[in-house]
Amino acid sequence: MITTIVKRDGREVPFNLEKISNAINKALQAAGMGDDKLALTLAAKVSKQASQESLAKSTAHTVEEIQDIAEKVLIDADLSKVAKAYILYRAERTRAREMNTRLMKTYEEITHRDSKESNLKRDNANIDGNTAMGSMLKYGAEGAKIYNEMYILKPEHAKANHDGDIHIHDFDFYTLTTTCCQIDIQKLFQSGFSTGHGYLREPNDIASYSALACIAIQSNQNDQHGGQSIPNFDYCLADGVRKTFARRYRENLVRALIFSVGREDCIEEKVREVSRTILTNLQLMPEVANNNGYITEEYRLLSDTFDTTLLKKAQAFSLTQALEETDRATFQAMEALIHNLNTMHSRAGAQVPFSSINYGTDTSPEGRMVMKNIMLATEAGLGFGETPIFPIQIFKIKEGINYNPGDPNYDLFKLACRVSAKRLFPNFSFIDAPFNLQYYQEGNPATEIAYMGCRTRVIGNVNDPTREIAYSRGNLSFTSINLPRIGILSSRSVAEFYTRLDDMINLCIDQLLDRFEIQCRKKVRNFPFLMGTAVWLDAEKLGPDDEIREVLKHGTLTVGFIGLAECLKALIGEHHGQSVAAQQFGLEIVSHMRKRMDEAAAKYKLNFSLIATPAEGLSGRFIEIDRKRFGSIPGVTDHEYYTNSFHIPVYYSISAYDKINLEAPYHKFTNGGHITYIELDGDPSGNLDAFESVIRCMKEKGVGYGSINHPVDRDPVCGYNGIIGDACPKCNRSDDEWPQFERIRRITGYLVGTLDRFNNAKRAEVRDRVKHLNVTESSRGMETL
Amino acid sequence: MSELRLAGIIRESIVDGPGIRFVVFAQGCPHHCFECHNPDSWSFEGGFLATPKQIIEEMSKNPLLKGLTLSGGEPFCQSAAMAELAQAAHDKGFDVITYTGFTFEELLEKSLSSAEVLNLLKNTDVLIDGPFIKEFKSYDLNFRGSYNQRIIDVKMSLKKGVAVLMHI
Repeated sequence: MITTIVKRDGREVPFNLEKISNAINKALQAAGMGDDKLALTLAAKVSKQASQESLAKSTAHTVEEIQDIAEKVLIDADLSKVAKAYILYRAERTRAREMNTRLMKTYEEITHRDSKESNLKRDNANIDGNTAMGSMLKYGAEGAKIYNEMYILKPEHAKANHDGDIHIHDFDFYTLTTTCCQIDIQKLFQSGFSTGHGYLREPNDIASYSALACIAIQSNQNDQHGGQSIPNFDYCLADGVRKTFARRYRENLVRALIFSVGREDCIEEKVREVSRTILTNLQLMPEVANNNGYITEEYRLLSDTFDTTLLKKAQAFSLTQALEETDRATFQAMEALIHNLNTMHSRAGAQVPFSSINYGTDTSPEGRMVMKNIMLATEAGLGFGETPIFPIQIFKIKEGINYNPGDPNYDLFKLACRVSAKRLFPNFSFIDAPFNLQYYQEGNPATEIAYMGCRTRVIGNVNDPTREIAYSRGNLSFTSINLPRIGILSSRSVAEFYTRLDDMINLCIDQLLDRFEIQCRKKVRNFPFLMGTAVWLDAEKLGPDDEIREVLKHGTLTVGFIGLAECLKALIGEHHGQSVAAQQFGLEIVSHMRKRMDEAAAKYKLNFSLIATPAEGLSGRFIEIDRKRFGSIPGVTDHEYYTNSFHIPVYYSISAYDKINLEAPYHKFTNGGHITYIELDGDPSGNLDAFESVIRCMKEKGVGYGSINHPVDRDPVCGYNGIIGDACPKCNRSDDEWPQFERIRRITGYLVGTLDRFNNAKRAEVRDRVKHLNVTESSRGMETL
Repeated sequence: MSELRLAGIIRESIVDGPGIRFVVFAQGCPHHCFECHNPDSWSFEGGFLATPKQIIEEMSKNPLLKGLTLSGGEPFCQSAAMAELAQAAHDKGFDVITYTGFTFEELLEKSLSSAEVLNLLKNTDVLIDGPFIKEFKSYDLNFRGSYNQRIIDVKMSLKKGVAVLMHI
């Protein structure tokens, strides 16, 4: 007879028959044959068998040994269904126990380790894991992930995610919200909006337009887990410039007239009244272009009161003066916007909002003034001349508007090149790429392609083909496939590769639909800003307690991929930079994935799309698991990271032209988002011709979205901005001295100001990046022929 | 066809003149500037041999290129072959920038007795002249190492007989 049992923590406690009987009864119930008596009988059998076995050993049984015996007893009793249930029950309990341990270990790491040593705390380079709020956010995130894995995911999805077949992005937010959104601030500002904490009136000055744009971005960030973008920055803020110009004109006219004729006859009231009359009768305000007839009408209405020569002079003076003042006010507003977006807090204070702004196509003088000044403010930098990390800026290129000499905004494209050469932003998007042009309607900015943050793209709409627009929509969630693993497992058989790939895509679609269902059941009141102020399309049709299903149908459900290069290496021994055949095969794979997304979209009437995944934590995670599992395979698992999406590996030497040429064709397949980068090893500010020629090459080759990476270093002591090696070339200060040089690099689309916050894999990637255009003397690698 | 003795090439450069440029570094240099960036290119032995045709073929592979830059080493120590290369580049629509450690005036004098030097000058659009002088070194100069070096419009200069400076 056994009397004691060894628990998992090593303590020896009295043996309790009832506990075994209870566990067995649970299994019986699960099999639909619950029976206390039978359970007790079976438990007795377990006890008896255990006693017999314990004669052979000197120590007491462990819990696991007793459970093994219980399984055997059930099988011997011909209760295979019950045995199965018992095994499952036991596995579940084991998983729960492991999870608890894992969670506590994770919490310990968050609590006690500096983020310099903790990869986990540098998971996202834009969160400072060393701060109180950054740590708090991590506790929440890690706890949520473990809960979601245990209680929310289907077991097959949990296994695939856990084993690294797939990666469910923003998994901590699985049951909470959606990824990102393009905010139509023009619509939002009309008649004001509420942030969920207070109500804001419609702004009336460029300064308040800029302030409210920041507040909109911040409010949005707190309702979502991803980033937010303003697709119509130029068009909307131009309205603010218009209002400022009209007011400054009126103020100057009043002053000029008072100066000339003295403070009599209620001059201010008269000018105001005339201005109101013209607005009411003709809907006109004074404008920068001064071709709408306002000035003539004002002259007519005021010429009875004032000397006409004087009036003409005063009007001309006020126009010039207002233009100058408005331009200055716009610069200050843009400067304030950039400062705000780099310093404001969101999500428990641990992050600045992930903000993007798109502009480039508004040809009105007011829109042009907005763009000129946001770029000049970016060029000037932050308080000490630092490079602004946010907002991500995207300059939209369009033939006939800003691409060629003679186009009305060509000067702004030139300026965009100059600023980007110094500050890494703006990036460039290409409306003329056929897959973007198909949505474009002249005169309707909502149909111009806009990108969010790192690369996300939302425009096509199977749910409502009459509204294929960039505004008021976003990505709902995305899940990435580990392509290299499928490549490795297929042992060079193409047929097997496609079978495995299709299985994985099916799994992702199923998982995305599960998550979509959770998201759909949320109510408007869960998202005070996103839904409550109708930032999303059609949200205005819903009440506070309505489900948001119909609104979310405008969003995208997206499958991504990582490591096309390593996948090709594993399958055919070469990646797509190395041979035409590999490129051909690469394109086949990605077009197949796109085809599967289109089929799913048609089947479910939901916007399934394919994204070239921006991988941060993921790039190192997949390869680490795969190296453990398959060993180090040359060109496949022997680096510290898998290559992003369809990119040519960063360590592979290739000309800028060839890289663009090879990556461009993938852009048309990846309708959920894409980006192509060219790396420079120095400051391209001195050669803007070269910079522009790379951007033009991207456009001609059919790239949708692209940018040029170059190191931006700054010595905070002498203020030198450029490339700094071990010592500042201007003042000779060394890198070991405090304060250290700032080194801005781009990581998964976002700029990060210090290498400290990069995770291990990304540090390695930045180190390995081969430059496509040669700049600095010291690193010039000359070739021979 | 003449052969070039080269220290190396760079297929895409953005610091050797405006636009993206193919750079050819001559092997062999008589100037020996203090703190030269490229002392390996001083010896007139070594390096490797290439024909202008080979260079043009390599350039034709890259539609992003705006022009050819001759650097070194001292290109004017192999004027004949360099001039041939420069002319071939011009025929393909590329512009040509030549870096030299000689001054324009020195080259002008040499050209009186050397048709090859004159030929290379005539096939150069922009000449960046003069040795690198460490005391005049600056990071604020575009495409130049030291203040004494000049950016010269060769066509105008040959016409007028004096160095005509330009901005690039």
